[in-house]
Amino acid sequence: MHAVAEKAVVVFSWAMTIVLCLCVSIFLGYLLIHGLPSLGRDLIFGAADPLRVLLGRARVFDGLFPAIMGTLFLVILSASLAVPVGVCSGIYLAEYAGAGMKKFSGLLFDILAGIPSIVIGLFGFSLAVFLHNHLDNRFGPCLLISSLSLAVLVLPYIVRSTQTSLEELPDGIRRTAIALGANKLQNIAYVLIPNALSGISSGIILAIGRCAEDTAVILLTGVVAVAGVPSSLLSQYEALPFYIYYISNQYTNPGELSGGYGACLILLGVCAFLFMSAYGVKKHLSHRTLYRA
Amino acid sequence: METKDKIIVKGVSFFYGRNRVLDNIHAIFSKHTITAITGPSGQGKSTLLGLFNRMWDDVPGARCTGEIRIRLGDRWVSPLKNDIPMPLLRRKVAMIFQEPNPLPMSIAGNMAFPLKLAGVRDKSIIEEKVQKALAQAFLWEEVKDRMEKSALDLSGGQKQRLCIARALVLEPEVLLCDEPTSSLDSKAAGIIEDFLVGLKTSCTLLVVSHYMDQMRRIADKVMALQEHGLSQI
Repeated sequence: MHAVAEKAVVVFSWAMTIVLCLCVSIFLGYLLIHGLPSLGRDLIFGAADPLRVLLGRARVFDGLFPAIMGTLFLVILSASLAVPVGVCSGIYLAEYAGAGMKKFSGLLFDILAGIPSIVIGLFGFSLAVFLHNHLDNRFGPCLLISSLSLAVLVLPYIVRSTQTSLEELPDGIRRTAIALGANKLQNIAYVLIPNALSGISSGIILAIGRCAEDTAVILLTGVVAVAGVPSSLLSQYEALPFYIYYISNQYTNPGELSGGYGACLILLGVCAFLFMSAYGVKKHLSHRTLYRA
Repeated sequence: METKDKIIVKGVSFFYGRNRVLDNIHAIFSKHTITAITGPSGQGKSTLLGLFNRMWDDVPGARCTGEIRIRLGDRWVSPLKNDIPMPLLRRKVAMIFQEPNPLPMSIAGNMAFPLKLAGVRDKSIIEEKVQKALAQAFLWEEVKDRMEKSALDLSGGQKQRLCIARALVLEPEVLLCDEPTSSLDSKAAGIIEDFLVGLKTSCTLLVVSHYMDQMRRIADKVMALQEHGLSQI
């Protein structure tokens, strides 16, 4: 009976994995079939000369280049804001906080992780309005506000992954440097963080993916259909997820819809590029930090 | 206090929260000797070792009473009274664990790590001390051509010798060994035993062990930790 049950579990797990792989393949295949025909220089640069665009001497009015750049700026800026805060909070919670503080802040971060992104977007929009009214009327929905809002959105992933990665380190590693005369800070910096780097960077990669794909937050905080490449942090901007959302709602002919599918492929490409960059940084960092001693 | 005394333990009790792990322990450990500590599991042998370099400091709810005095150089220090900076105490009272715990870095990196923690920056001094400690651990000939290779690729016995050498690089006066051979085969354990015996000239060793034959081979004194305390057998 046990053998039959075990076989059934194996077959079921195998079948579910195949189903999942099929779903992903169908999804990617569908995107490729519909998006590939539109992929090309025109989709990205429109009528503009790519070289002049890349050198900053020409603007793109009918291509995805500004949206690609807007997405990259958005992700890099959001990650730059969220990673230091998130990693430091995670270190504090794992290594310094008492049991009460851990419980309390853990609850807060779980609540934050559960807040719908549109609510965070609304918070960002309210912040922009507040700053416009009380600080400087140049403030409004812009790249900076979007990045701040996205940073808040992804903070819990980074905090939790940092905290968990540090807490899960075995006692053997945890007490090695201590027994050799390291103080707590040296132990954290030289031993614990390098050993937890894999888990910490997984959280950061997840956060980058979320920053690149989230539409609800940017919808309320600064993204527009046509803005060009953002010239400052206070500029409005274009972004690929918003373009996809916009075109799928407003397309007037099959060619435009095909452009939307092409944008999906480019967004996947941008995400893959960001993931690989993060992975490269992680590998380089862990090698350097582990071997610098 | 006699001049040959190295560690004096007076009325030491240790608690995890409300749980009393050690009760009123008294003992004297002499300089340049190996004292083996044995006893049933759960009696607090590893905890007792950890008292000498305060490894329990970061354990929530841990508390220690009584007096421990250790002679370091010409000075008596009382770790429980915090009269010596913790990093310095742990450099002079080093500890080896049951499982070899090399850091995931190169052999050279592992060996230089404690020296860099201690603020030694001179490469020639580091190289000299590293080579001396590895030679003491009978490991230099085995690893001298692959110092930049990962320490994690060494065999179990080599890893443990590396960990002992890594502790020795700081020239400790007391070496606390918590079942240092229990995860090794008999051949590797034999090499470690010879190594520990050779260290008596420079260190005072306290070795927790479950193997009576091993204790007889290497120890000058065997003490048993039981419910009523620590006594010589």
